[in-house]
Amino acid sequence: MKSGRNFSRKEFLKTLALSSLILPVFQYCSRKSKTILLKITSTNHILGHRIWAKNFPGSSETIQTKILIIGSGVTALSAARSLRLMGINDITLVEMEQNLGGNSSSGENQWSKFPLGAHYLPFPNKDNSELIAFLEEQKIVLGYDEKKRPILDEEQITFPPHDRLHHKNSWEEQLYPIKNLDNQSSEEFERFFYLMNQYKQKRDELGAFWFDIPIEKSSQHHDALILEEIAFSAWLTKHNFHSEALMWYLNYCCKDDYGLGVDYVSAWAGIHYFAGRKGDFAPHYNASEFTWPEGNARLIDLLGKFVQNKVLHGHLAFDVKLKPEHVEVLVFDSVTDSTKTICAQKVLFCTPQYVNQYLFKGRKASNFKYAPWFIATLVIDKNFAGCDNFAWDNAIYMSDGLGYIYNQHQNINQVTNHKVISFYYSFNEENLKNARKKLFKLKDDDMKEMVLKDLRKAHYFIEDYIVEMQFHKLGHGMIAPVPKHIFGEKTAALKEPIDQKIYFAHSDLSGISIFEESFHQGISVVKKLDL
Amino acid sequence: MDKRKISFENLLLFSVLIIAICGLIYELVAGALASYLMGDSVKQFSFVIGVYLFSMGIGSYLAKFIHSNLISKFVEIEIIVGLVGGLSSTVLFWLYNTSQIFEAALYLFVFVIGCLVGMEIPLLLNILKDKVKFKDLVSNVFTFDYIGALFASILFPLVLIPQLGIVKTPILFGIINVSIGILLIYYLKEELKNSLALKIRAFFSLFLLLFLYAFSNQILSLSEEKLYNESIVFSLNSSYQRLVVTRNHNETKFYLNNNLQFSSRDEYRYHEALVHPVLSKAKRIDNILILGGGDGLALREILKYQQVQHITLVDLDPEVTRFFRSNETMKKLNQNSLNNEKVEVVNSDAFIWVKNCVEKYDAVIIDFPDPSNYSLGKLYSLQFYQYLQKITHEKSVIGVQSTSPFFAPKTFWCINKTLEQVFPFSVPYHAYIPAFGEWGFTVAGMRPIPQKNYQIVAGNKFYDYNLTRLSYFSQDMKAQSLEINRLDNQILVRYFDEEWSQF
Repeated sequence: MKSGRNFSRKEFLKTLALSSLILPVFQYCSRKSKTILLKITSTNHILGHRIWAKNFPGSSETIQTKILIIGSGVTALSAARSLRLMGINDITLVEMEQNLGGNSSSGENQWSKFPLGAHYLPFPNKDNSELIAFLEEQKIVLGYDEKKRPILDEEQITFPPHDRLHHKNSWEEQLYPIKNLDNQSSEEFERFFYLMNQYKQKRDELGAFWFDIPIEKSSQHHDALILEEIAFSAWLTKHNFHSEALMWYLNYCCKDDYGLGVDYVSAWAGIHYFAGRKGDFAPHYNASEFTWPEGNARLIDLLGKFVQNKVLHGHLAFDVKLKPEHVEVLVFDSVTDSTKTICAQKVLFCTPQYVNQYLFKGRKASNFKYAPWFIATLVIDKNFAGCDNFAWDNAIYMSDGLGYIYNQHQNINQVTNHKVISFYYSFNEENLKNARKKLFKLKDDDMKEMVLKDLRKAHYFIEDYIVEMQFHKLGHGMIAPVPKHIFGEKTAALKEPIDQKIYFAHSDLSGISIFEESFHQGISVVKKLDL
Repeated sequence: MDKRKISFENLLLFSVLIIAICGLIYELVAGALASYLMGDSVKQFSFVIGVYLFSMGIGSYLAKFIHSNLISKFVEIEIIVGLVGGLSSTVLFWLYNTSQIFEAALYLFVFVIGCLVGMEIPLLLNILKDKVKFKDLVSNVFTFDYIGALFASILFPLVLIPQLGIVKTPILFGIINVSIGILLIYYLKEELKNSLALKIRAFFSLFLLLFLYAFSNQILSLSEEKLYNESIVFSLNSSYQRLVVTRNHNETKFYLNNNLQFSSRDEYRYHEALVHPVLSKAKRIDNILILGGGDGLALREILKYQQVQHITLVDLDPEVTRFFRSNETMKKLNQNSLNNEKVEVVNSDAFIWVKNCVEKYDAVIIDFPDPSNYSLGKLYSLQFYQYLQKITHEKSVIGVQSTSPFFAPKTFWCINKTLEQVFPFSVPYHAYIPAFGEWGFTVAGMRPIPQKNYQIVAGNKFYDYNLTRLSYFSQDMKAQSLEINRLDNQILVRYFDEEWSQF
């Protein structure tokens, strides 16, 4: 576009201004005929909930396997990878859905892939060698330069503009508001980040960080653990944080990672969000996350290579029988409508505790909170002027949802067609059971309105440019680290294996649903197997 | 009875006035159009006026063969003149972009209109000769004729062209012309035979012209003319961008999304500076790659080297390459380079194409749009140059258009620095292109760029194979302490935005 001086910036702006006058006319014309294609998908909750009634047919087939893994989320696949790397190939996975991935699933339309769950992986901490080894193995970390700094595959990290916040009618280039804040808010933001930085560095006398990833490595010091006993909001009040802007931001952050806001999650978890990641692995990069158009489903794909032809899809495990020599697991095959018995030496339950409680007597997990979610995938017409400025992560101040991510931001080609964005919404409420019911009652038009209510704040005309909207309902999203969850006795008890044959691993047992935790859970449970 | 006679005569005289105005307008439109599109306005106007007057003479001569139904013939001619004249500029514009017969068609139009207008005065004299005294008749008719001519020639440059533009003006006068015809049909219905057929023809012509008038903006997208202040001769929305070609005083300009890509007046400077330093410094030039440059102008320069065996041109937009491959004016400008048998045109995204490419090239010429947004900035990133390295060899030479070192020194030197991370030996240089100002380029390779030229071609108007002469940078074209443009920082887009926002 050799912007020669014959066509100066001023004229260009004039052109823009001119076209902005004409645009509403076209918008008006197109409005009448506009019908948005709406579509709803969800996890297979009908099949999943049959585990309540257990009205399945009798077993008609027996399968033998050395190691049986229930589930195919990150933990399950990470465990499978560990086993395969140890040379153990006699493994079988049982998965209710037709795809792998659990909370890291994805979809695809003609314009782009898009996530239906977790959508990025922050750069690991420098000492998270398990994860770094995986990233090296998968050529996400390509090598190290002469200063021993990692060389990352640039196509797999976020590109600028990385993130932005719509605040007081303009976009700011970070996720928290800076411009047009009152003095109190500015002071509180500054003090809050200062404190968080202190916590980031804080270690106990044994050298363990107070806040670390995986959580297992975090300090067990009493002063740290008492933070787990109170709600984050109580801690904030105690430290004299009251600013509305700060509260909005912290709620946004907690909901984004935990599904629930500052009133529900523990202070330890709230601080961990800011202090757990040290940013010491690749600080020479401008980005701090790996991401892909399909979100973490890319990582599932990479891990999936370790379980090729070893997964029984559409299968629901509904009963477990502990035998002296082995474990029998009854699984229902929803495709053939039959039941199979799987005999395994060891079984890894990489399933969330809300599932496990129906498989084992007396294994109540009522204190485990999972907020319901929905994700709306929107196809935005290429003529929408706002498209040009999409950042990877876009938040909208004082909105109920969690903003949206732009799925094609990483495309190296010139994206000239429609744009695909993913809007996230979590139900931040006391009674999650009700919220879940509410979610499944929501019609497409209701959800459309919920999405537009948020988006209109930043993009007034966006409705006229939506080509397609697809909603994905998740009855149980990620685990919410409410007080006494992470280090509580109940959680500790649920981590215990049964008779050296049945093992439990899931990010909900660590209390924080992030890829790093799940990945670690998979590795650590395989170590426990003592093979 | 007497009263009607006067009004009959006056009416016909009034129509003489209109015919004179309209006829001259068509003539002026033809002249203006010819000078817009073909340049050399003195020549074009002279030719058009000459042909017009000559064909009026022919028309006058032919008029003597019309014996019967004079009034009806007169009205009919009036309508045909309106229709042909009204359609002239629309048809000519369309022909200019689609075929080679523009010039012939132009003079055919001038000739036909001239003939028809030329027939009218003798016809009128014939009609009125028995009703008015000959002395009065001749002087009245010619008085109105010349008054009309004065009107037209004053209105045309002062009111019509600025207000209506060159397409709408003749359509409007065509409408007036046909309306007068219709008026005559109704006033003279007693004198006319078979007025129904005439009416049908008249109204059909009127509606056709009205339709054209109403939609001419959409048809030729003339509303943009004000924006460019130049005559738009072609415009098209491809799925990627808006292509516009303007023509003024023998100068053709090509715009993509309102950004000037080249002006025919000085594009040779740009393309010689882009191409020849690369081809003359590369030892082997069998296999060449051009990224961008769908206009075929860089290609034209490359094809001057006989040694070149094969050229691959990768341009995103198939509409651009199709246009420059088929449009006659553009084919003249790029010397039909896109249709040369050595050239393979690929319409594909350059980044993806380079990433997946397995061939090796002796020289690569990169002519991408400026890094004005994040999408385009990726095409100047370290990652891109790393992929590029895989499709070149030790002795390949790369040439990159690197924006203006004067208007955007940080941008220019950031591209240079990023390129040097992969191709460590570079020579940045710049050339003055009047349409753009001081413009910058970089040649780079895995080995030092040699002093000598491996091959040269004769006939350059700008580049004289003295690269050193172009590679001196004064203080106002330098910039220090710059970052490398990577996908994760896209610093180049920030530099570019910061620097161009000052202009």
